[in-house]
Amino acid sequence: MAGESTHLEVRNLTKSFYGVPAIDAVNFELRGGEIHGLLGENGAGKSTLCSVLSGLYRPDSGTVSLNGQDVAFRSPQEASSHGIGMVYQHFRLVNSFTVAQNIVLGLSKDQRPRSMRQVERMVGDLAEEFGLHVDPSASIWQLSVGEQQRVEILKQLFRGAKILILDEPTAVLAAQETDRLFDAVSTMVDKGHGVVLVSHKMAETMEYTDRITVLRRGKNGGSVETRDTTPAEVARMMFGDSSAAERTTFDTSHEVGEPVLSLSGVSVLGDHGLPAVNDVSFEVRRGQVVGVAGVAGNGQRELQEAIAGLRPLVEGTITVADTDCSNAGPKATMQAGLAYVPEDRLGVGLAPGLPLEHNMVLKSYDRAPHSRRGVLADAAIEKTMDMLVEDFDVRGNRRGMRVSLMSGGNLQKAILARELNEIHQVLLAAAPTRGLDMAAAEAVRAHIVDERATRRGVLVFSEDLDEIVHMSDVIIVMFKGRIVGSFERDELDLDQVGLLMTGSGLDADDASDQVSAAS
Amino acid sequence: MTSRLRVTPRGFSGPGVRFGVPFSALVVALLLGAIILAVAGNDPIEAYRTMFDASLNGWSSMTRTLALATPLILTGLAAAVAFQMRVYNIGGEGQLYLGAIAASYVGLALPETTPMVFMLGAMLVAGATAGALWALLAAIPKAFVNADEIITTLMLNFVALSLMNWLIFGSRSFWRDPRRPVPSGKRLPENAIMPELSGRMHIGIIIAVVAAVLLWWLLQKTSWGFQIRTIGDSPRAARYAGMSVRGKTMAVLALSGALAAIAGVSEVSGVTKGLEPVALTSNIGFTGIIIAVVARSNPLGVVPVSIFLAAITTSGSRLQSIGINVQVVLLLQGLIFLTVTAGEFFVMNKVSLTGSAIAGPADDSSSPATDVAEATA
Repeated sequence: MAGESTHLEVRNLTKSFYGVPAIDAVNFELRGGEIHGLLGENGAGKSTLCSVLSGLYRPDSGTVSLNGQDVAFRSPQEASSHGIGMVYQHFRLVNSFTVAQNIVLGLSKDQRPRSMRQVERMVGDLAEEFGLHVDPSASIWQLSVGEQQRVEILKQLFRGAKILILDEPTAVLAAQETDRLFDAVSTMVDKGHGVVLVSHKMAETMEYTDRITVLRRGKNGGSVETRDTTPAEVARMMFGDSSAAERTTFDTSHEVGEPVLSLSGVSVLGDHGLPAVNDVSFEVRRGQVVGVAGVAGNGQRELQEAIAGLRPLVEGTITVADTDCSNAGPKATMQAGLAYVPEDRLGVGLAPGLPLEHNMVLKSYDRAPHSRRGVLADAAIEKTMDMLVEDFDVRGNRRGMRVSLMSGGNLQKAILARELNEIHQVLLAAAPTRGLDMAAAEAVRAHIVDERATRRGVLVFSEDLDEIVHMSDVIIVMFKGRIVGSFERDELDLDQVGLLMTGSGLDADDASDQVSAAS
Repeated sequence: MTSRLRVTPRGFSGPGVRFGVPFSALVVALLLGAIILAVAGNDPIEAYRTMFDASLNGWSSMTRTLALATPLILTGLAAAVAFQMRVYNIGGEGQLYLGAIAASYVGLALPETTPMVFMLGAMLVAGATAGALWALLAAIPKAFVNADEIITTLMLNFVALSLMNWLIFGSRSFWRDPRRPVPSGKRLPENAIMPELSGRMHIGIIIAVVAAVLLWWLLQKTSWGFQIRTIGDSPRAARYAGMSVRGKTMAVLALSGALAAIAGVSEVSGVTKGLEPVALTSNIGFTGIIIAVVARSNPLGVVPVSIFLAAITTSGSRLQSIGINVQVVLLLQGLIFLTVTAGEFFVMNKVSLTGSAIAGPADDSSSPATDVAEATA
């Protein structure tokens, strides 16, 4: 059982998916009685590392040791029996079961008390001990998000967890609940537990952790004692140093023209009706690439959808090439001259179950030459497909095959081909190179930057700060639905961008304002 | 060393697979059925010959089968067009009744001397309109407040059934024949009856086949159908491309209702020749749903599947007449249908045996698409 397993050490851990390392020779150490922050951009390998620690994945190489003994978990149950428990960002709870039932769910007969009443009593005691107050007999659906999170934590403690991995625990919490969570966490740490805090947020990491380990592109970005470091140093470890800005190979000597995309005071709601984008204003000019940097989940997706006419504006106006497209819907926005490469390739950018020829004319099927008087012209459609496949080097298609069987890079090139083939004034591209191999990513970037030469405007969103810096003339930083910074390429301060992305470049009042606005 | 089955979706299937698999499935069903027949003490060869003779062998058997297939094709198309957009119209049954009610009203109300072309034309238009409007009762809540159409269309079946029963059994309505002591519908005048082509087969079969071809063309060859197929595959991609999902939902459900209603027109005008609730309630609407599933929502597939199903049904009664137990007949019918349906799995997926079982790690980070691309590479 759990024992005194509170010293965890990871050496040279590597785990690849389809030949691409998600984490590469990563080292990590957690001592009992500490909160250890694990930071990194999206795709830096945080989740993979945690999944190995919690027994979900088996590493390709490297060792995990607990109190000096090497361990290899074949399942989350095994990790759990060694005292390691993970609390996921998206809870794994059965809504119609009670708290107590959820907590013993999956335990064998000898691991749990016979009566539910007894379980409830034990859960109640545990909740009392750690300050994780929740009614053990309540059903999950009756609980708030914060309470549900407490149930997840209690579930791990009930199983004897001495090491707790919290995956972005505050992403779903309001400010007050965040405080309560960290009160409980510090109680655990006082009792000798070790806690790994996976986070994107600089402020809470600086405030609550004892040490910080940064992952960057699957490798160690550095480990520091929190009290010996500054947000600027951590941001530099996360996002790299300023040298990246100099590697640009794109021609940037060009003049910008009039605006082709203007946003003024744009506010929109998220999927759950909460404010997601707050009073955003900026413009993209002809011959200009504007890059939006930010950690995922700070309103970028909602803003993209608003620009594309897919999400209603609560306030503000959006103008595409002199046409007011505020709340005009996707079709009118398209016709005004917006080409849009969405974040979600299969399912939004492409109809996954339909063949490539269908997808290549997804936006022009109802016009000549692809259809006349409502009747499709199959020959013209095939001709367009052949042309785009040739021009953009889209590979892996077979006639009639559904596109979901093609690789990510080819799908992305196909979407770009279609969008750039439409008559357009401005290109909106979201995460255009996510998941692509180097060659495909480079090809996609080149196509996007080429738009500058044809006097069009480009607005590109990416979580990869290097990429943004690499391509953009102007860089905008988004945090919690707001624009928190805007830089011309030559005045760019990468440290400052990194700080702004994690919300720590703001003054305290402003930041707390936004917390309450977003919750 | 253990080996395991590996199932990978086919990107597309060639004609060899598309036609070979259902045919093999039929052979398998007949072999399995032969065992059951033999165990039950019957001669399988004789039974199969009887089935074939009764349903497909010779013109008179064939017309009987086609007459039975006529409304099935139409309700099958009704379900298929909705399935193309992943809208589930379970209300074909009720829409069929509405078509029968409206068409018989027109047939009885217009002067008996109205020329047949106008009479039948008016009945078809009235029936289709009634079915479309009935379907819109479910389509509008679906489009505007996302009310589940499976529930609403299903429930409306009962309303339509009660309405039809009330018109004949519960009231002295316009449809009811006052002269007959047993409640029944007024007989339609001659010009309101679809002419017979041969035996029981009437011109409804032509309407049904033409409808199938038209629907196929509409879905495959027009920009309207392009939108329907896009929405059916991915509503989000459709919205992204500027298509109106709401408008299409209503249009498709109305079209579906109209097609099911035309089955009702065909039945009331070509078979029952008056509004006869008992004769009209033979689950034609529900059977259409099964047909559409087996035909994979392809309008051209609906025709052979309907004929096949009709053939199984017509041969069933003959089997009983040569002394085969009714349970065995039903078992045989079910078996044939089940095997052919199950065969679809092999059309859509490739199943292969892999040598070594390397249990892959729980890997929810990679998209299924990559998985498949890897597997088929």
